[in-house]
Amino acid sequence: MSLRGRWILIAVVTVTMTYLSLPSFFSDEDRASHWWLRQDGMTLGLDLQGGIHWLLRIDTDAAVQRELEKVASGVSDSAEEGKVALASSVVKDGALTLRGDLPGLRKILEESAGESVDVEEQDGALVAKLRERWKRDAVERGAATSLEVLRKRVDGLGVREPLIVPQGHGRILVQMPGVKDREQAGEVLKTTTFLEFKLVLDSAPSQELLEAKLPNGVPEDQMIVLSQTRGGKESEALLVPKKAVLMGDLLEDARMDFDRRNRPIITFQWDSEGARIFRDFTGSHIGQRLAAIIDGKVITAPVIQSKIGRRGEITGDFTREEASSTAIQLRSGALPIPLVLEEERTIGPSLGADSIRDGVRASILGAGLVFLFMAIYYSVTGVFVNLALVVNVLMILGLMSATKATMTLPGIAGVVLTVGMAVDSNVIICERIREELRAGKNAKSSISLGYSRSFWTIFDSHVTALLSAAILIMIGRGPVQGFGVTLFIGLLASMFTALVVTRAFMDSYYGPNPERLRI
Amino acid sequence: MELFKRKTNIDFVKQMPLMVGISVVITVLSLISIGVKGFNFSIDFEGGTVLELQTPAAAGDVDEQRLREILTELGQPDASIVRVGEPAEHEFRISMRGSQEQDRELSVTLLKGMNQALGTDVVVKSVESVGPRVGSELRRNGVLAIVLSWVGILIYVWFRFEWQYAPGAVLALVHDVVFTAGLFSFFGWEFDMNVLAALLVIIGYSMNDTIVIYDRIRETVATRGTTELESVVNEAINSTLSRTILTSGVTQLVVIAQLLVGGPVLHGMALALFIGILIGTYSTVYVASAVMIWLARRYGHSVPAPKPERRARTRTSTT
Repeated sequence: MSLRGRWILIAVVTVTMTYLSLPSFFSDEDRASHWWLRQDGMTLGLDLQGGIHWLLRIDTDAAVQRELEKVASGVSDSAEEGKVALASSVVKDGALTLRGDLPGLRKILEESAGESVDVEEQDGALVAKLRERWKRDAVERGAATSLEVLRKRVDGLGVREPLIVPQGHGRILVQMPGVKDREQAGEVLKTTTFLEFKLVLDSAPSQELLEAKLPNGVPEDQMIVLSQTRGGKESEALLVPKKAVLMGDLLEDARMDFDRRNRPIITFQWDSEGARIFRDFTGSHIGQRLAAIIDGKVITAPVIQSKIGRRGEITGDFTREEASSTAIQLRSGALPIPLVLEEERTIGPSLGADSIRDGVRASILGAGLVFLFMAIYYSVTGVFVNLALVVNVLMILGLMSATKATMTLPGIAGVVLTVGMAVDSNVIICERIREELRAGKNAKSSISLGYSRSFWTIFDSHVTALLSAAILIMIGRGPVQGFGVTLFIGLLASMFTALVVTRAFMDSYYGPNPERLRI
Repeated sequence: MELFKRKTNIDFVKQMPLMVGISVVITVLSLISIGVKGFNFSIDFEGGTVLELQTPAAAGDVDEQRLREILTELGQPDASIVRVGEPAEHEFRISMRGSQEQDRELSVTLLKGMNQALGTDVVVKSVESVGPRVGSELRRNGVLAIVLSWVGILIYVWFRFEWQYAPGAVLALVHDVVFTAGLFSFFGWEFDMNVLAALLVIIGYSMNDTIVIYDRIRETVATRGTTELESVVNEAINSTLSRTILTSGVTQLVVIAQLLVGGPVLHGMALALFIGILIGTYSTVYVASAVMIWLARRYGHSVPAPKPERRARTRTSTT
């Protein structure tokens, strides 16, 4: 390429990169008010702007449990219809154990869930276990639904640009930049909460009294739940089946409202399937008590007065805030399976600001030292190299803004580190030119030999460094991944600046037939 | 300005047996330290919870002792409490290694308990907690990343040079990583994700050095053949010596700046880079070239045509 062509290329690159990187140096308000600024700056990582990072895992055991409970309820329905004796049906430790008319039950199981479970006979009972593939499916489905639910919830919090993505098998990554209130954000997770309606089988004023009523202990398919007042003192213990009549996943809507006495209540509405089940159930259990349980806690347990259809309301001892946040959680859909918080990183905004300050300070000092050294050591050529390094940094910032890459604290260190590596290419070239001069070549051929003989060295050393950066991107996470991205882009930029930018400066400065090089 | 007024003429090859011996010894010592003492892993790799907080002026002059009492009361007598920054800032880092699944609740309860005991709300600077599964996965991924980059470089050097060059390059990298990690193990410096990243950068960096010298060896072999391989290698190392020292020195300027004013988060990373770049420069000169000479002497070295027309290769077997 002609010298002129190269200068045009350099000018275009520099202007474009400046334009792309400029917004990162301005605040949001400035960006909005200046027409010449792009709106998108570089994305800052959570470690710099503060925020919350979560890695959530679908609780596999719970997913299996839920799946088996569905199978169990199908079996008991069919058994009732087909008049097959079913003595007990228990889901425990990843297995469904059925007792009763075993051949009949086996037939039902094979018909209704033959694909999903393996059935065995053990100690006079049928034991059904979920097949591996179905377990995986259950987890995948759980993860997909949870993802949607979390999206709605986080949006409900008003987080700007949250990141909610699946991360490998049964895992979800949630990043909420700028969120400061950890407890409030925790509400999103508390959405592992679900609403269940269960028939009350028995009740007593306290757990001890209720247990005293049950000489044989709590039956395997039943459990005791406590209803609590706001003071935290238990007011009633209820005996309920483990299996719920209905769960929050069939809700269509839930809102906070006030009753006639101006107390906060939650009104809800079922979808058509939920409405059908609810109507049938309430119709056939008039006079009995139905407990609404949220998060394993009894909110209310009124007596069913009449058949209830699509709409209903829950009156409990809530505060306004509790009612409102519960309604949001119910509305966005219940999380189908509990999520385990595997990793949390909450960075306060002040720490992020400290990090930016430290990072920028170290970069300026580091880059300053390098610039100073190059100018002293290689005189005029060193100044050219420094100008090329400036283009290099602009390219890193510009490319990162353009590709919406995330700048992290290690990333800032990475920018200066690539400046160090970019220097290397120039050092290789300059030392080579000096060598050629020493070997008695004239100025012109020294430059051209210096560049051509260094090319493959620079190429090879960059490829291996790119390899390490690529591995960082693939395997690293969060800030470290950002570091890899910065290094990768920086290395690409460094090849360009060393081979094209510095060269153009040299060719222009020394002209076609230089006498002496200042190197 | 020039580093060396005249071209140096140091007999590096002659020093190689001694240096390789020293390298073997320090590598073995590093491995022993890693095997016996292990690493002071951060919660990234081991799981656990770290709280960084600042007690407000209203809480009075809180010190480590006071926090220790409160934490013992809250059932965490083994938590490590370290003051961060100036005493007047009242900033502390509280870490609890090894984690339970209910870490979220743990940090919430601890913060509530501390607020109650101090009678005022502490300022939470950061909360990090990593579950045991994630910790062991990150450890596995870290080892995988390092081994992958070794293998990748082995293949690349094999492809771009002769196979006789590749094992030396990779051994030098193994040497650098083991030594740096060994020092972290020996001194009990905290080993976190950023240190792991630094090890990968060291691999890339040290490789860079090695390639520069290998390139020069190959170039010189092309004109002078391999009968005097030792002197060719000496020549190659000597003629690239000022570059080797300059580049390491310039990169170290950046790393030293990071060490001095870069703040606490990246201190471990900067330390690892500082050590790794030093050792990487050394290993390029002494380890990579030594192994390469040995392999080329034993198995021969094919001589490529002179650069830049390197496509035509003539296979001339020597020795």
